[in-house]
Amino acid sequence: MPALHDIQALIRRSVVTGDLTGVTGLLDVRTERRIAVHRRNYQSSLVDALLSKFPAVAWLAGMKFVATAAEEFIEECPPQKPCIAEYGETFPGFLSRRPGAGRIPYLETFAELEWDVGHVTIAIPEPHITIEDIASIKPGMLPELRLGLQHGVKYLLSGWPIEELMKLYVTDCAPDRLEFDPCDVFLEVRGSHGSFQILRLQKAEFRFRESLAKGMRIGDAVEQAMDIDPSFDGGASFVRLITEDLVTCVTPSSEQGDIL
Amino acid sequence: MTTNSKTINTGVGLRLPHLVEVVATRPPVGWLEIHPENFMANPHAMELLVELSRHYPISIHTVGISVGSADGIDRTHLKRLRALVDQIQPFLISGHLAWSTYRNEYLNDLLPLPYCPETVRLIASHIREVEDALGQHYLIENPASYVGFQSSTMKEPEFLSELVDQTGCRLLCDVSNVIVSAHNMGYDAYEYMRRLPADAVGQLHLGGFTPEPDFADSGSDMWIDTHAAAIAEASWDLYAFALQRFGPKPTLIEWDSEIPDLGTLAGEAFKADRIFQRTLSMMSREAPCASAP
Repeated sequence: MPALHDIQALIRRSVVTGDLTGVTGLLDVRTERRIAVHRRNYQSSLVDALLSKFPAVAWLAGMKFVATAAEEFIEECPPQKPCIAEYGETFPGFLSRRPGAGRIPYLETFAELEWDVGHVTIAIPEPHITIEDIASIKPGMLPELRLGLQHGVKYLLSGWPIEELMKLYVTDCAPDRLEFDPCDVFLEVRGSHGSFQILRLQKAEFRFRESLAKGMRIGDAVEQAMDIDPSFDGGASFVRLITEDLVTCVTPSSEQGDIL
Repeated sequence: MTTNSKTINTGVGLRLPHLVEVVATRPPVGWLEIHPENFMANPHAMELLVELSRHYPISIHTVGISVGSADGIDRTHLKRLRALVDQIQPFLISGHLAWSTYRNEYLNDLLPLPYCPETVRLIASHIREVEDALGQHYLIENPASYVGFQSSTMKEPEFLSELVDQTGCRLLCDVSNVIVSAHNMGYDAYEYMRRLPADAVGQLHLGGFTPEPDFADSGSDMWIDTHAAAIAEASWDLYAFALQRFGPKPTLIEWDSEIPDLGTLAGEAFKADRIFQRTLSMMSREAPCASAP
């Protein structure tokens, strides 16, 4: 009798890839063909989950194209967590590598934008740091500190004005013809409680905020921004972040507890 | 649907499409059941659930705790579940006699197990681990079955009884799963119920199923546990029998696909409650009964 782990390896293969080799010898002859029920459950539930997360991508690239890519994706990249809401983050890159995806050069970043929109829309605002809170920190310490930002804010760089496409999708008013030329856009996606907004930032401001979101120290984030624009005003940008209620905590550069 | 009274014994599955409406209208159902995996990664839904937990008893029905997995329990997921349990304070926590994880993959289905002493031992150790981590009993639900294993040496009721004996765990009897499995596997649903350890049953489930041509026999049909339809008459009949056999137990109406409006769902809950009340009256002449949540 095979060990349970070996049985599960064979069933896993049949469910994920449809390869029934070995499975038929495990199951009652009378019922063995019904293992296809489990493959179908796996496929349909995950394809539906992906399509429900990327409706704008399906609108842009076509439902058939996206559904076929989703079928391939779930075979190559099964979920790794039981929360299916967290599944699909790497689908944009996978989608862009499918044959035929080259006809839409902005497909990957558009899909990333839709992923980010889905993420921020279900966020809830956390308590934020105020200017008064910041006043208690010695100014000389600030460059060494790191900031925690709201979960409902994401940063995305694209070589195409993809937020314009998203606006067309959301407002359901696609024109017959659209002039769409490449240009770098620096996007901040914010949301909570079921709604979202997409803002275009200046390149240096984007780099500053994106660097902070990645966990960089404030001083280093300012330097990153000044490499792009030597006139970048780090102090003013820092204050804007605070007054826009985006900062949730201030932490020292070493792994210690929060300062605020 | 009766709107001026509330179901006593019956709860409904709270699914995301109904969440905002349930918060706004507070439908007259006795309690709510959630799949925690739908809330853990959704802070907005979680916020609304916390609000609802102040007004309804909540039952947690996991789909991601894979007690049948040979690779063991996902402890990261278990920790997340414990955090949710601490926040919601559910009156019951349950999961499935199935497996869904293989190495680092989550296969998003309730996959079948061979019923033999080795599997009992593995699952018993996992149930103990889950109960220790969650700090309360974990009810195990009988699956909807489509296949059997050549290596099985035990019938499902014996397997579940052995789990109860080894762990002291309790059972969630999905009445509709018994109907589905009995049809697909060719056994008697009422005999199955008679062989379950009645004292261990702590909750009942009712859900719709969908007949379709059998992959294994082109001349007949198999029944699929879709939770995409109203509850079948055969399930209602077996439910009445289950109440008599196990006593009055909290009962859930499950509807997870092609989800109807909230009124239709509550209507099914009222139907279950009428059967519950009828059975309760019958049984009250004979013995005192357990209380609903």
